[in-house]
Amino acid sequence: MIMETWLFKAALFAYLVSTAGYLVSLLVRRVSVARISTWVLFAAFAIHTLFIIGRWRLSGQGPVITLYESLSFLAWAVSGGYLVFQTMTKTRVLGAFVAPFSFLLMMATSLGLTGENVVPDILRGYWVPAHVFFTLTGEALLVLACLAGTMYLLQDHALRRKTAFRFSRYLPSLRDLDRINHLSLLWGFVFFTVGIIAGAVWAGAVWGRPWQWDPKQVFTLLAWVLYVILVHQRLAIGWKGRKAAFLSILAFAVLLFSLAGVHAFFTTVHDFF
Amino acid sequence: MNHKTAPVEIRERLALSCDDPSRAITTLRSLPHLREVLYLSTCNRVEVLADLQDETRGIDRIKAFIFSHGNLPGEELESCLYVYRGDTATRHLFRVASSLDSMVMGEPQILGQVKEAYRMSVENGTSGLMINKLLHHAFRVAKRVRTETAIAFNAVSVSYAAVALAKKIFGGLGGKTVLLIGAGEMSELAARHLLKNGAGRIIVANRTFENAVRLAEEFQGVATGFDALEEHLKEADIVISSTGSAGFVVTADMARNALRRRKNRLLFLIDIAVPRDIDPAAGEIDNVYLYNIDHLQEIVDENLKNRLEESEKAERIVEEEVIRFAEWRNTLEVVPTIRSLKDRADAIIHGEMEKSFSWIRELREEDRERVEILVHGVVNKILHGPVTSLKEASQNDGTPVYVAAVRDLFHLDGPGSESGRQDGGKTETEEKETSS
Repeated sequence: MIMETWLFKAALFAYLVSTAGYLVSLLVRRVSVARISTWVLFAAFAIHTLFIIGRWRLSGQGPVITLYESLSFLAWAVSGGYLVFQTMTKTRVLGAFVAPFSFLLMMATSLGLTGENVVPDILRGYWVPAHVFFTLTGEALLVLACLAGTMYLLQDHALRRKTAFRFSRYLPSLRDLDRINHLSLLWGFVFFTVGIIAGAVWAGAVWGRPWQWDPKQVFTLLAWVLYVILVHQRLAIGWKGRKAAFLSILAFAVLLFSLAGVHAFFTTVHDFF
Repeated sequence: MNHKTAPVEIRERLALSCDDPSRAITTLRSLPHLREVLYLSTCNRVEVLADLQDETRGIDRIKAFIFSHGNLPGEELESCLYVYRGDTATRHLFRVASSLDSMVMGEPQILGQVKEAYRMSVENGTSGLMINKLLHHAFRVAKRVRTETAIAFNAVSVSYAAVALAKKIFGGLGGKTVLLIGAGEMSELAARHLLKNGAGRIIVANRTFENAVRLAEEFQGVATGFDALEEHLKEADIVISSTGSAGFVVTADMARNALRRRKNRLLFLIDIAVPRDIDPAAGEIDNVYLYNIDHLQEIVDENLKNRLEESEKAERIVEEEVIRFAEWRNTLEVVPTIRSLKDRADAIIHGEMEKSFSWIRELREEDRERVEILVHGVVNKILHGPVTSLKEASQNDGTPVYVAAVRDLFHLDGPGSESGRQDGGKTETEEKETSS
């Protein structure tokens, strides 16, 4: 347990350093600082991976059951997704969004990590970790799609207004942003869908029916339908750029509500802790 | 001289006769009164950087060299020349190397030219301590300016602005197709810049097919008439239009159709013509980005303004570095004194050891070593104070007083001191003369 705590703290610290580095690089306008920040983020990701593996082996029940584990996993997946894109396209500025995002998630994780979470019996088995793993990975990629879409709209706006604003020089090109949006949408959608199916299978097993018009399920379905439309428009109709970026942001807003907002406004069967 | 002081007629005459820098540097090397020399000649400047023994006579010699080289009468050229000494010369060199003194501020070529000039000077054996140190410092300054300011980032001409925008849209320009509609100096320049930055293919469309063929040959592209314009809009990623047409050559409908047929791939339209060639409504379409000549000019103006701000930052860096270099040069003045002080001490040790040779000889090997170490230790401790004071004084104008005191106190200039004053001091006669 001690070892893990250290790993967690080290990862948290590395995320913080990376976040600070990215922000400083924007202020002082030095690419070298951002480059170092990327390496620090990579280190954070590596340490974080060790932490997740360690915890998995210790608990012996899958790495992503409790709420806090899920938050930590989401941070891990978002960082990993970004690092993959960073090696594929030179879009370092995205890191200035991703690093703080992961850091905040890790901060939230740290609130509950030390307390022992008792896992209810109905969450045992393989379907639950599979459900959480796939939905969170999918959601992490959809976060990236949303971020890339936001940056796309900013860059598009700057280009249409014909005058560059202060930070537009750091924004990647429209083509790169659209590619990130496109790829993370496709992969995110696949993972997300598999995750939902796994959840439904599990629900069918423990509750007797896979679908029960629960508010959480309804909003998730709504977000999923929006993503279906978006994937269809992109692949079949050939949507590119602004419209696709806008819809990916809208769909993510609905998804975010189903993830976090639903619990505040409705009672849902998806509350386990 | 440079582009600010000399009209182009004089610059070109001098550049013409100066285009063989190795001959120039050989001539310069043979001039008297010059210790070290560097010769820089570009299309916009001709400069001679020299460390002089005799200031006035050295400058006259360099001027004479320039006059004879340019085959110009002295009076006519005199007014185009500038002469800088000391810190002013350092500052000028730093500004030149950082491209602050260039016609297009921030252009990157000048640093390469300065490096080339330095290489020439090293190869011809005309560089010494002063020029080596100064030039390496100048390269460092140029690097600082480049990395710490955005002076080289902004596009300050219409065609550069077009390239910068294209990069913002497409990332790299590799494999992109350019469609050039009509002809004109500015549009051809923009096309050339796009090709130089990696654009893959060019299609030239002109109302008169012959003109299109002529231009296409020049760019190694494809020629076409106006009737096939819609077809080519489908393929092109970047369209530059500058025809004399009174109406729109590219309508919004044409752009919309093209976009549908190219599956919404991004399209960048540049309208350089007045009256305009491309319907402004085309710019409202998703995934189409339309810039006309005014938009591009606005960007250029904005960038020029930014460049001015950045250049102020750069000037501050140069100023800092000039001071640093001056500090180094100041220590140079006390270096000969420090050296003769140490030589003197060594001579004394040597002499005294000689005197005591008879009994030192009797000692065991290791004791002999101990005695030597002890003697040297004592002497070094004693000298440490004066040497430190000299170095400190060199940074606060105290040099002459301290140098005189140390020389007097330790009898450095008396009979028997081998390093006299003649090779000391006066390195500040470093001179820079620029002429183009």
